Amino acid sequence: MNKAGDNGPLSLVLVGGSSGSFVIFEEMIRLIRRPLSFALVFVLHRGKSSTAVLPELFKNKTNVVMSEPYHLDPIKVNSIYFAYPDYHLLIGPDARFYYDCSEKDFFSRPSIDATFMSAAVSGIPVKAAMLFSGSSADGAQGMKTLAEKGYPTYVQDPAEAESRRMPEEAIAAYEKHHVMADGNLFSIINDILQ
Amino acid sequence: MVLMEYPELEVLIAQIREISGFDFSGYARPSLLRRASRYLANHKMNHEQLLVHIEPGGRVVYDLIQELTVNYSEMFRDADFFMKVRTEVFTYLESYPTLRFWVAGCATGEEAYSMAIFLKEAGFLNRSLIYATDLSNKALTAAREGVFTLGNARTYSENYLAAGGKHSLSDYYHVAYNKAVMVPDLRRNIVFSMHDLTGDGVFNEFQFISCRNVMIYFTLELRRKVFRLLYDSLSMLGFLCLGKRETLRYSGLEENFKIIDSTLNIYQKIR
Repeated sequence: MNKAGDNGPLSLVLVGGSSGSFVIFEEMIRLIRRPLSFALVFVLHRGKSSTAVLPELFKNKTNVVMSEPYHLDPIKVNSIYFAYPDYHLLIGPDARFYYDCSEKDFFSRPSIDATFMSAAVSGIPVKAAMLFSGSSADGAQGMKTLAEKGYPTYVQDPAEAESRRMPEEAIAAYEKHHVMADGNLFSIINDILQ
Repeated sequence: MVLMEYPELEVLIAQIREISGFDFSGYARPSLLRRASRYLANHKMNHEQLLVHIEPGGRVVYDLIQELTVNYSEMFRDADFFMKVRTEVFTYLESYPTLRFWVAGCATGEEAYSMAIFLKEAGFLNRSLIYATDLSNKALTAAREGVFTLGNARTYSENYLAAGGKHSLSDYYHVAYNKAVMVPDLRRNIVFSMHDLTGDGVFNEFQFISCRNVMIYFTLELRRKVFRLLYDSLSMLGFLCLGKRETLRYSGLEENFKIIDSTLNIYQKIR
């Protein structure tokens, strides 16, 4: 059912985080050295009035195309996507993005769970899912579901996260996530991205 | 823990149709699955239990349909959109002797009241009629009452001011039993009525249609059909407003509209 993109079959790398994650996202994008063989999807909690356009902020860090997608846009490899404020960003089994503005999860819209859960049931392979610093339990459910589906899941070491709640809740919900500690955080990320 | 997967959702859709006649087949699966899963989580059941629960004769199926279709809204949602409407669009509409607005998929009426407030401030509420439609009778009943949770009033008020509201939002409601009750004056020019975008046809001609964040719940095919209905319901040079992340793409009608604002998704019918 998945449509093959121009650069091979579609797979996803999912990244979620909240307070304290922004700098990690920034560094992650800087690490990208070559065309991506997957679509990279970021879900960062933001206020609905957030006017910061993430693709603009990260623009000079990489050559890969970045966008806040529109409803029904096809998901393509070698692209970076950011969830738009005040909507949930869902991944459809037809390899398109779907927006949803139903109720918030953990007071958040976009919610990490919404995106991750939709990816888990989409049938599109998930190369990796990562969860970083944040101060709510959002993401734990989605990470657990992805792990149970057999996809690789990585959680920042709560002890080293600026806000430990989010990674802590993920590990509490499912203890077999790979834990990334400061010493190997960016080398693991780097391996995933190549 | 996955509560429901796509094949099970299809079974549910078929069963709902059989029992109630309500057809979800034109609804976008990803958001429908999210809502159905949330329903299961909230009611602490799995999908087999749900299928048993919605048996003929019961009212559970109607509650379920309600929960799967209800939309959430707020007053002056997207202040920049309302700002643009009051400046650019209203300036254009000013010259019309009578005006018809359609808030399609109005849920509990927040946007219709917002529109009425800005029309009043612009001085042409009296020659305007706002048709606010939804497929949910329950939502419409709430909309007619015009009663909102006071706790939301602060957000609405901030939105209103950010959108360029001229007074204070509290001028338009009074507080009773910890609720915000919209003043009856606003209601006079709003017609709340039942209309199903997916099945019902054209019922009037409008100078302005707002259908924001409604079609995101429809499949590509159904969305195309609804676009056609909205197009047919617009007078020439009438305005069509969509939600912030929606576009005219994949509608089949891209050529028939002029873009007034590509970020805020305001279009004008030109052919």
